Amino acid sequence: MNRSYNEEKRKWDENVEKTLQKFPERKTSFTTSSGIPIKRLYEPEQGDKRYIDEIGFPGAYPYTRGIQPTMYRSRHWTMRQYAGFGSAKETNERFKYLLKQGQTGLSVAFDLPTQIGYDSDDPMAEGEVGKVGVAIDTLEDMEQLFDQIPLDQVSTSMTINAPASILLAMYIAVGEKQGVAKEKLTGTIQNDILKEYIARGTYIFPPEPSMRIITDIFSYCQENLPKFNTISISGYHIREAGATAVQEVAFTIANGIAYVDAALAAGLEVDQFAPRLAFFFNAHNQFFEEAAKYRAARRMWARIMKETYNAQNPKSWKMRFHTQTGGSTLTAQQPDNNIVRVTVQALAAILGGTQSLHTNSRDEALALPTEDSARIALRTQQILAHESGVSETVDPLAGSYYVESLTDEIEKQANEYLDKINDLGGAVKAVEAGFMQREIHQTAYDTQKDIEKNEEIIVGVNEFTIDEEVEPELLRVDEELEKNQIQSTRKARETRDEKRVTAVLQELEQAASSNENLMNVIVEAVKEYATVGEIANVLRQEFGEYTAM
Amino acid sequence: MEPIRVLIAKPGLDGHDRGALIIAQGLRDAGMEVIYTGLRQSPQQIAQAAIQEDVDVVGLSSLSGAHKTLFPKVVEALEANDASDIPVIGGGVIPTEDIPYLEEKGVRKIFTSGTAMAETAMFIKELVHGGEATPPKRISHIGIAVQHLEEVLPFYQHTLGLPLETVETVEKEKVKVAFFPVGDTRIELLEPLDEESPIQKFIDSKGQGIHHVALDVEDIEKRIAHMKDKGIRMIHDTPQQGAHDSRIAFLHPKSGHGVLYELCEQEKERS
Repeated sequence: MNRSYNEEKRKWDENVEKTLQKFPERKTSFTTSSGIPIKRLYEPEQGDKRYIDEIGFPGAYPYTRGIQPTMYRSRHWTMRQYAGFGSAKETNERFKYLLKQGQTGLSVAFDLPTQIGYDSDDPMAEGEVGKVGVAIDTLEDMEQLFDQIPLDQVSTSMTINAPASILLAMYIAVGEKQGVAKEKLTGTIQNDILKEYIARGTYIFPPEPSMRIITDIFSYCQENLPKFNTISISGYHIREAGATAVQEVAFTIANGIAYVDAALAAGLEVDQFAPRLAFFFNAHNQFFEEAAKYRAARRMWARIMKETYNAQNPKSWKMRFHTQTGGSTLTAQQPDNNIVRVTVQALAAILGGTQSLHTNSRDEALALPTEDSARIALRTQQILAHESGVSETVDPLAGSYYVESLTDEIEKQANEYLDKINDLGGAVKAVEAGFMQREIHQTAYDTQKDIEKNEEIIVGVNEFTIDEEVEPELLRVDEELEKNQIQSTRKARETRDEKRVTAVLQELEQAASSNENLMNVIVEAVKEYATVGEIANVLRQEFGEYTAM
Repeated sequence: MEPIRVLIAKPGLDGHDRGALIIAQGLRDAGMEVIYTGLRQSPQQIAQAAIQEDVDVVGLSSLSGAHKTLFPKVVEALEANDASDIPVIGGGVIPTEDIPYLEEKGVRKIFTSGTAMAETAMFIKELVHGGEATPPKRISHIGIAVQHLEEVLPFYQHTLGLPLETVETVEKEKVKVAFFPVGDTRIELLEPLDEESPIQKFIDSKGQGIHHVALDVEDIEKRIAHMKDKGIRMIHDTPQQGAHDSRIAFLHPKSGHGVLYELCEQEKERS
């Protein structure tokens, strides 16, 4: 063993000591069923420079083995199930149910009108209100959504992008009403507009003003919400749109680089905002490739932040990420099989060192999950955490010839994509040129052809099929909901102080046309019960709307 | 044959277009011309695009749960623009139990997750071409309404010199029919059996003369479906028993521009 290996090992030991003071291990001793003791960490017999450079110790650069020195020995990942449907009141009930079931963080799904900045009574919203998530029009809805949920005791992840500033402002305002200071709020806003153009579709404004809103949020949160993740740079939807594991990593990191560049251009310091950047990945079925993917992504990000951007704070190097199992891998045929798929995918995410995890429900290829299905999905994580033993030692896959080789190869191929995107002028330009979109579509189409030629087997779809009447119990969103939501929004508009709303919207218009940070005035606007649609419309007029090619 | 033109559209706010893009390319590879609308189209915009692009079929994709509102609206918008002859099909995340409702609202077919591209392409080809694949082979017969067979038989037999093949009574249609082969077609004389016979009504309003033209077709069911696709009014929605063991169906004369056409499938030609 060479000196640098011993030196790194010693640093890790110190790091463990420090961590244990804050996060003691879950058990005093870890053993297998046969009584074999399980060590915190297993290391190479011959530690060499290559191990230190490419793999390293957990909690140390380049973080291939995870961002914490003890990982799940101290604390399991956060079990965070994305939920939200219908009205704020119904979603509030589902949240309280999930918290009671042992879930440790909230994750809000918004309906499409909210995500695209339309009020529920906008003609564009017809048929979509409350369908894929909760409908939020005014602060009143947000108050209802978090009723009896103290915001200083939960961390909340919000899947909101183009209007992220508005929903974050509402979250701040709800906290204020509950007596929780901004500084104490924890959670994540997705706020990742680039992948909306690439894969998910809930964009509003063109890329340039969108990037400005994002850096305004970075800057505001740096000063006011230091514990809030200001963005969740998402490969999830890129993968769902058909990308390979390599494309998922490459395009996500390319977008990450674009946000860093935008923040630097806006005058922010890398070590001020980078520690609050979070990531969000998918978990598909190819178990080893998926586990290797997370390890490769973590190493790439650490290297980019340290070497390219010269970040000094180790927190800036650490890629923290949430994982969700792959919705597009679920089948409408024999839906109970999906429970098994989800288990395999979740296991890959855990062995890849995820910080939090959403496991999909078996019925998601058919409709929104029922309460039963959502519970099974959560139980899947709990079984993996408490019964499987996979979290008893840190990064058990390290040193596997196959996994380390896959990790290296994914990094290599993803770097080739990064070079290509760089040649195109960066992620924003590549998105505008449709580069990522085309690459993803080609993969998606090739995959579909392979399935149809039976070159790829999907159990229950092109092999092992049965005649079945698929009639599971499904969650239906009440058709009356749209009407009720429209009524309550109209009522909220009638009871507010219209003059003050007009004034604050004018202020917003001025802020938008200048360089002023938009967040302060948006917080004021939501407190006056200006609606999501009204605020978004002011910005639409100022910034214009994006239309895809 | 002209390639089939398809409009693939994303109604509503749903941004998931992996399926729409794959199906668009799959149909292109199957030789069709495909126009993709892009995201966030209103039913009205989709109907306009379908008409402007002169497509044969509209395919809708939705994964957001708004299909029950939006798919029927596209059908309505096409109807409102006199384009109800453009059939609408759909796919996405659509619960099985919603399919009957959507079909009742005029959506021709819903393809759920896991459908092969080839299957969709095949369905569209059948939907669009229907019975056109094999054109009608010949005129089966020309029907002529006469008040009294006995009175006109000498003219056909002796003056025109046509051989009388058979005389049959078709109770159901309340007619007595005489057949005269001419080459590989026939002249069919129709005499009303009573006052209620449609032939009597025809004679009462228009006098004796040419009553209908019958086209010899294959696969009459598919033909009827195809006619209805094209907005043709049918007197018979299902094949009826005709003379000579044939199966027949009449188009409404208003749809036939003043001519009463009959589709006729001969027993011997049915496979």
